[in-house]
Amino acid sequence: MSLNAYVSGILAIFKYSTRKILLNKRWVITLLMALLVAGIMGYAGSFEGDALDGGSALMDMLILSFIMPIIAMIYGASLIRNEIEDKSITQVITAPLDRSISYLGYYLSLAVSLSLIMIFINLVGWLAFFAQKGINGDALGILGAMIGLSVIGSLVYSALFQLTGTVFKRPIYFGLFFAFIWEGFIGSIPGAIGSYTIKHFIRSIGAGWIDYGELANYNAASAASAFLTLIAITMACLVMGAFIFREKEYP
Amino acid sequence: MSSQAPPPLPPEISNDIPPLPMSHGGPPPIPTAAHNSPIIQASFLSKWYGNVIGLNGLNVTISEGITGIVGPNGAGKSTFFKLIIGTIKSNAGDLFVMGQRPWGNSRQLADIGFCPDYEFLPLDMTGQQYLEFLGGLHAMDKSSLDKRISEVTGIVKMTKDMNRKMGGYSKGMKQRLKIAGALLHSPKLLLLDEPLSGLDPLARRDIILLIKRLNKDYGHTIIVSSHVLHEIERMTHNIVLIYKGRAVASGEISQIRNLISQHPHNIIVEGYKMNELAKALVDKDYTVSVGYNENRFSLSVRVTRPDDFFNDMPELLEQTGSKIERMYSEDDNLESVFKYLVGW
Repeated sequence: MSLNAYVSGILAIFKYSTRKILLNKRWVITLLMALLVAGIMGYAGSFEGDALDGGSALMDMLILSFIMPIIAMIYGASLIRNEIEDKSITQVITAPLDRSISYLGYYLSLAVSLSLIMIFINLVGWLAFFAQKGINGDALGILGAMIGLSVIGSLVYSALFQLTGTVFKRPIYFGLFFAFIWEGFIGSIPGAIGSYTIKHFIRSIGAGWIDYGELANYNAASAASAFLTLIAITMACLVMGAFIFREKEYP
Repeated sequence: MSSQAPPPLPPEISNDIPPLPMSHGGPPPIPTAAHNSPIIQASFLSKWYGNVIGLNGLNVTISEGITGIVGPNGAGKSTFFKLIIGTIKSNAGDLFVMGQRPWGNSRQLADIGFCPDYEFLPLDMTGQQYLEFLGGLHAMDKSSLDKRISEVTGIVKMTKDMNRKMGGYSKGMKQRLKIAGALLHSPKLLLLDEPLSGLDPLARRDIILLIKRLNKDYGHTIIVSSHVLHEIERMTHNIVLIYKGRAVASGEISQIRNLISQHPHNIIVEGYKMNELAKALVDKDYTVSVGYNENRFSLSVRVTRPDDFFNDMPELLEQTGSKIERMYSEDDNLESVFKYLVGW
C-alpha cells in the first residue's frame, strides 16, 4: 500500500474522529470543567497575594495535575471502546488500511482534540485569574508554558488512555484508578514513588520553563530525561495499542 | 468479471454430524488466483466464541454470480461473513477468499464491500459526508470520489437525500446508503448480510431488484444472507443452506426444494366437520398421520407429498362437506426445513 493511501486513511479517520470527539455531548463536561476552573481561579484572583506565584501554582495544581488526566480519561478511554461497542468501528476495520495505521489516525485525532480542549481550559483559568491581577509579559509566559505542558500531557495521556480503551472492556475503572489514585494521590506523595507518575515528568519539564510558584522549585528529573521518558511512554503505548488493535477480533 | 450468474452447483446434502463432504470428496484444494477459481472456498471452517459455536466444520465453495446464504437466526451466516472480511479469526479449518486468506489481510478489503446486518451509520453525518469519509479510507482522490459518489447514489437511488443527516433516514434509506458505502470502491465481491431485515415490503422489493441489478448490470459477485428462503429465491437460484454452523445443502434451489418436499410436511387445517375430513385423509397414501390439535376444529396432518395433498383438498372438502377456515404448513419456517435436511 502506498504512502498516499496511508496518509489518506489517517486523514479520513482524523477528520471523522475529531469531529466526533469535539461535537460529542461530552462537551458539556468540558464546559463544566472550564467553569470549575474559572470559578476557583476567579475566586483566588480576587484575594491579595503574589499574582505570578499564585497563578502559576493554581494552574499547575488545578489544570495540569487534576483536570488534564480526568479529561484525557473521559475522552481517551471511550474513543475506540465506544466504536467497538456500537459497531461503528466496522467502517474502519473493513477498509483496506492496515489497522495499526487506523489506530494512529485515532490517536492523532484524540491528541489534537485533547490539546485544543486543554488550551481552552488553560485560557479560561488564566483569564479568570490574571484579568484581575493584571496581564503582563510574565503572566503571558506562564500561560505559554502551561499550554506547552498541557499539549505534552495531552500527547502522553492520549496514548495511554486510548490503549486502555482498546485493551479493557470497561476502561473507566482503570481510568478512574489511574487519574485519581495514581496520578492524583500517589503523584502527590513526597518521595520516590511520586516520580513514577506521568505528572512528575510533565512537571519536571515545567520546572525549567516556569520561574514562579511551586513548579519553579520542583525537585525534578532533568528536562531531557523527562522528555525522553514521556516519549518512551507514548511510543510504548502507541505500539502496544496498535498491535492489540490490529490483532483483535471484532465479532 | 463476468456479469452472468454461474451455472448452478450440484446440490449437496448432509444428514449426519460429520462435516459436509465436498462433491469431489475431502477438503477442497488450496485455490490459486486463477481466472475461474472460486470466489470463496471454505473447508472444515470452524469458529467458536467461548462455549458458543458460530461455525462448525463448514465446507462450501462459492463462485461468481449471486449466492444466497440461507439459515435460521444463529445458524452462522454473520460469522461466515465476518470470517470472509477478516474481522474475526477462524479456530480451525481453511478459508480462502479470491485465493487469499482473509485474516490480517487488509489489502484484500479493497476488493470486498461489506454491508452488515446491524446499524452502525454515524447518524449526525449527512450521507455525502459519510461516503466522503469512506472514500478517504479507500484512498480515493477527490475528483474520482465525487464521480463515484454520484454514480453509487444514483444506483441506490439516494441522490436527492445525500445532504440530509442520516438520523432522519428511514430504515430502507439507511440500508440503501449502507449498500452505497459497500459499493463505493467498486469491489469485486459484495457481502450483504440480511439486507432485507426490518424493511417494509416495498423497500424489500427495491433492495431485491437492486441486488439483481448489481450483479447483472455492474458485474458484482454478491453473497447475500437471509433467514427467509423465498426472499433469497427472488434474488438467486443458487443457495447455500447453513444450519447450526454447517452447510447442510448447497446448489440449485429447485433441487433442494425437491429434496425438502420428499420429507413429511406438517399441515394445520382448521374449520368445521374436521372429523369427516380426517377419515378421508387417512385413506390417502401420502398421509403419514392425522391428529387433532387442542380442539376438534383443528387438525394436524402429516403428509409426504404436500403438492398432492393441496391438489386433492377441494375434492375432499366436497366429498366430506367439511369447511376450511384456515390452512397452513408449519414447515414453511426454515427451522423445519433444516431439521428435515439434517434428519432431526
